[in-house]
Amino acid sequence: MDVQRYISSGIIESYVVGLVSEREAREVENAIAEFPEIRAAVEACRQDMELYVELSAVKPPKAIRTRILDAIENETQPEGEQLLPEELRRPDAAGEEEEKVFKMPALNINAAQTWLYVAIGALLLLLVSVICNFYYAGQYKTYLQKSTELLASEETLTQQTKVYQARQQALEKELSLLKDPALKWTRLSGSGKHTGQLAAIAWNTQSKEVYLLALSLPEPAADQQYQLWAVVNGKPVDAGVFEMGQQQHALQKMKEISAAQVFIITLEKKGGNTSPALDQVFLAGKANS
Amino acid sequence: MSDLRPSLTYTEAELVQGLKARDEKVFSYVYDHYSPALYGVALKVVNDENTAVDVLQEIFLKIWRGIERYDVDKGRLFTWMLNIARNTAIDTLRSRAHKLGQKMQEIGNGHQQQEQLIVQQSVDHLGLSKVLDQLNKEQRTIIDLAYYRGCTQEEIAKLLDMPLGTVKTRMRNAIIQLRNILKQV
Repeated sequence: MDVQRYISSGIIESYVVGLVSEREAREVENAIAEFPEIRAAVEACRQDMELYVELSAVKPPKAIRTRILDAIENETQPEGEQLLPEELRRPDAAGEEEEKVFKMPALNINAAQTWLYVAIGALLLLLVSVICNFYYAGQYKTYLQKSTELLASEETLTQQTKVYQARQQALEKELSLLKDPALKWTRLSGSGKHTGQLAAIAWNTQSKEVYLLALSLPEPAADQQYQLWAVVNGKPVDAGVFEMGQQQHALQKMKEISAAQVFIITLEKKGGNTSPALDQVFLAGKANS
Repeated sequence: MSDLRPSLTYTEAELVQGLKARDEKVFSYVYDHYSPALYGVALKVVNDENTAVDVLQEIFLKIWRGIERYDVDKGRLFTWMLNIARNTAIDTLRSRAHKLGQKMQEIGNGHQQQEQLIVQQSVDHLGLSKVLDQLNKEQRTIIDLAYYRGCTQEEIAKLLDMPLGTVKTRMRNAIIQLRNILKQV
């Protein structure tokens, strides 16, 4: 290599002012390492450039000195770190040819503004969220109440349904009883002061079952009940007490009776008696058999 | 000018050692002695005081953070710091010109090139030293475009309307002329 020619080619000056490409810069650096004359020429040129640069030296504003020294002092803290450009971790000389995008310190103001906007945005979202919370909490209460009401009414309906089912079953049973040809009907009517009072007895002479329908009887006192008797050869046999009130219009199953010539109904003490109070006979009827 | 160099208080090796040891006293010494030169570079490149101040801060943070990467074999400390200053300032200018260019492009294509020319031409309005009046306009411009603007050979050839092959020799001539002038100082 012709060192002198290389030196006078202008490549060294171009290298020092940063005019050469990356490839050329590597060439020059190799030449510097190889030839002391070239190294000396580069160094001389650098000193010229540095003198030239120093001609434009300007004392920076005093305030910046404090700012920079503060940044250095706080560099371990996040604020100090924030002041640093991201690519600081790269060797500066190596990055000479690379396209770098710097985060300028001035951008910190923008960053603060950005954070302010973010904060305002977050607050607005929070406010909206709170309002929504109140609104939906109110709606929730309303729906909860409605739901409770619906559950209660459903419960009522279920119970009513059960009542109706029971009633329907009873009615079906009555209907089937009424249609049973084995049943013998006896009409019991009152006389004297009991005129107009009525009851009906349905007696299945095969199964011995006895049903009573209290058609028209006065409501007894709370401690009293009507009692049915089957009279066989003048001897009364207890056929059980029966209810009045709601049960008055329903068929009530009585005790089984195997034989009867006459049915009588007497008013007895609650729970019934072993023998009828014959002065309290309300109704009587000759049994059909 | 000589007061901008490290004084007798510290040798360059001591400065490097002090910076590597995170010695804040050494750092403030370095700041006091080198900041005018580095600020001058920043100011010449970005041509705006507010931006130059920000650039200067970035330069010194890079020096403080990057001292471990300083290689004594590659050059003197001052050379290393000037490179940081120059690169930082030029990158700032480029990102600014780039942003400006993007804005221009939004308005209408073709403005970016024009914008770049405006930035580059403003070199003529930078402060001039009496001494440098002895450099002819082309010589001063070719040095400044390369050093302070980071222009490529092609850009300089185009801007100064000279053949691409002569840019390097013209640059050499300009620096030789500069050397002769500086010898008189």
